[in-house]
Amino acid sequence: MSEFVTETPEIEPKTVIRKRPRPKKEPTPVKGFRLDLFDWIPGLKKFVRLRSFQFLVILPNLFVFHILFIAGIFGTPVGNKNIMIVFIWILWWFILIAVMVPFASRIWCAICPMPFFGDWLQRRALIKVRSGKTKGIKNKMFGRNLRWPKRFSNIWLQNITFLTMCTFSAHLVTRPIVTVGVLGSMVLLATVLALIYRMRTFCNYICPVSGFLSLYAMTATVELRSKDTDVCLKCKTKGCRTGSEDGWACPWFVYMGKLDRNNYCSLCMECMKSCPNDNIALNLRPFASDTQIRGYDEAWKGFIMLALAMAYSIILLGPSGTIKDWANVAETHAWGGFAIYTLILWSVALVIVPGIFYGCILLTRRLAKATHIPMKEVFLGYSYLLVPLGLLAWIAFSVPLLFVNGSYIISVVSDPLGWGWDIFGTADFPWTPLWPEYLVFPQIALLLIGLFYALNHSYQIGERLFGSSEAALKGSIPMGVFSVGITLAFLKFFTG
Amino acid sequence: MNSLGKSAVVVVLITALGGFAGAWIAWNSDEPTSHYISIKARQYAFEPSVIRVNRGDTLHIKLISLDVVHGFFLEGYDLDAEIFAHQKSFNIRHPSKGKEWSEVNEFTLITNRRGKFRYRCSHTCGSMHPFMQGELIVQPNTPFHASVGGTLGLFVGMLWIFAQRRKTRLFDNGEMSAPPDQSRRAGDRQAAPH
Repeated sequence: MSEFVTETPEIEPKTVIRKRPRPKKEPTPVKGFRLDLFDWIPGLKKFVRLRSFQFLVILPNLFVFHILFIAGIFGTPVGNKNIMIVFIWILWWFILIAVMVPFASRIWCAICPMPFFGDWLQRRALIKVRSGKTKGIKNKMFGRNLRWPKRFSNIWLQNITFLTMCTFSAHLVTRPIVTVGVLGSMVLLATVLALIYRMRTFCNYICPVSGFLSLYAMTATVELRSKDTDVCLKCKTKGCRTGSEDGWACPWFVYMGKLDRNNYCSLCMECMKSCPNDNIALNLRPFASDTQIRGYDEAWKGFIMLALAMAYSIILLGPSGTIKDWANVAETHAWGGFAIYTLILWSVALVIVPGIFYGCILLTRRLAKATHIPMKEVFLGYSYLLVPLGLLAWIAFSVPLLFVNGSYIISVVSDPLGWGWDIFGTADFPWTPLWPEYLVFPQIALLLIGLFYALNHSYQIGERLFGSSEAALKGSIPMGVFSVGITLAFLKFFTG
Repeated sequence: MNSLGKSAVVVVLITALGGFAGAWIAWNSDEPTSHYISIKARQYAFEPSVIRVNRGDTLHIKLISLDVVHGFFLEGYDLDAEIFAHQKSFNIRHPSKGKEWSEVNEFTLITNRRGKFRYRCSHTCGSMHPFMQGELIVQPNTPFHASVGGTLGLFVGMLWIFAQRRKTRLFDNGEMSAPPDQSRRAGDRQAAPH
């Protein structure tokens, strides 16, 4: 008779897995020098404290925006002869990515005309503040003021809207009517959402431009911060967050006591008016001072931006006519090619680049002997490298846009609609590329600067994550290889 | 010079060294040859889209448009052309020397500059016109190879700095004894009579 013998497995002593304590959401300690620009620039503090500050800075932009819209609708459909395309996709884009973002953070959001109408309807005021009570806020707000669903309270929607918009970039940046359609939809959506949801829901969670501004503003050489976080913690009114009779509650729901990154501060300066303690500084600081990515949504924004910079370098600045035909589907009707192009673009942005990065993270953890540290923590920690790498690659990409095609600006100011006008006598100014053969040199320099910051931060992030310089050194090898690989790819596109 | 300054100098030197090495490795001294190239322009591409030649080669180039009027602006070589649809002849000029066009069937170019030079459409030809371009790559492509060498040099230089930082941290934490030269210097200071 056979006997069933069940072997009792030897019980091993339980491995005690100690969970790493969740880091408290304390503001990150400040590193590097800080210089309060309110102390150094006479009159600046007084200006931003004006009740009319935001209205004054948006107004000229709103005027230009209307002219561009008129030109987009009624002007010539030829992109390089229409002021809308030339001003937005050559001039504005270059200033935004190469000047505003690295040197002035999200200043564009402070002067952006798109949420203007929504703000107006929500506040029913252009300049003055309304005291009162609206769902925990000490301002009287109009509209339904609903909370945005929590599951969408991240930048995933912005990631998707941006990627979708950029899939059609060959149309967007060359056809005025497409730009009108996209920007018009954004204004409409921002206005409708302002009537339904509280504050600047559109800017916070949907605006495709806001997503990459939030990511790259981390590098900016200015920041709006509290002078002393203890003062904020002891503050009973929390006027910055909840508003006061002097200022509107922060449209981005920011509480200054915990603000330690530029990502979600639009520099609207309402907090300067609502803070009862005069505790806010506009600091000058070293480049790339905010170094913490706090969610996969932000990390994927970094991957998407990097992939798009590569894609644009190939489609717009590259020589291949076939790829241009695929991207330019409205004219060529190459739907099969467009499908291939879309599939490749989305795969590279959402799967392939993140996949390679994930492989490097696995190697980093192994080399640093840090397998006890959660994967998410290491992944998000190192994903900051995508920020300097991506931003500098985008600036390098944008250099030829301005220097090669910038002369169109001179001609379109005289003939903004392409109707044969000659307002300033420059309508016939010929297309004159500026030093096109030398542009590779600033492009190379920009890429190397991006690589320098990425490499430098890879070591610092390693020290922060692993707490050991030995592990940081080993960890910086795979991450360095990743960063070098990305840089070499861009070098190939621009110079190879 | 403080340690930060020294590190910066070392990184710049290693990067530059990488750049020189890259340029040197890619250097070639092939004999110049002649190439006969017919470039076809269409909305929004040139065919061939990439031309690879060596420095000193002579290019005999014909330009043909397959659809509408196109331009051909070759950066770095002061050359601009106007190509009419389905015509054998085309107009050419040197932008730095004036606006006058000359009608030709072919032009000759000696590639005396190294690197990548784009030829772009210079005559508005449609929606994607600003992005219609091709590439003339003149080997050795020194800027590319030097920048690749510089990139690798920067990586090596930064790793060297990290290794130095690691040593300093270990020394500061007492996990490593002072490097021999440093102990010697410390000993010298102690022994020196005051």
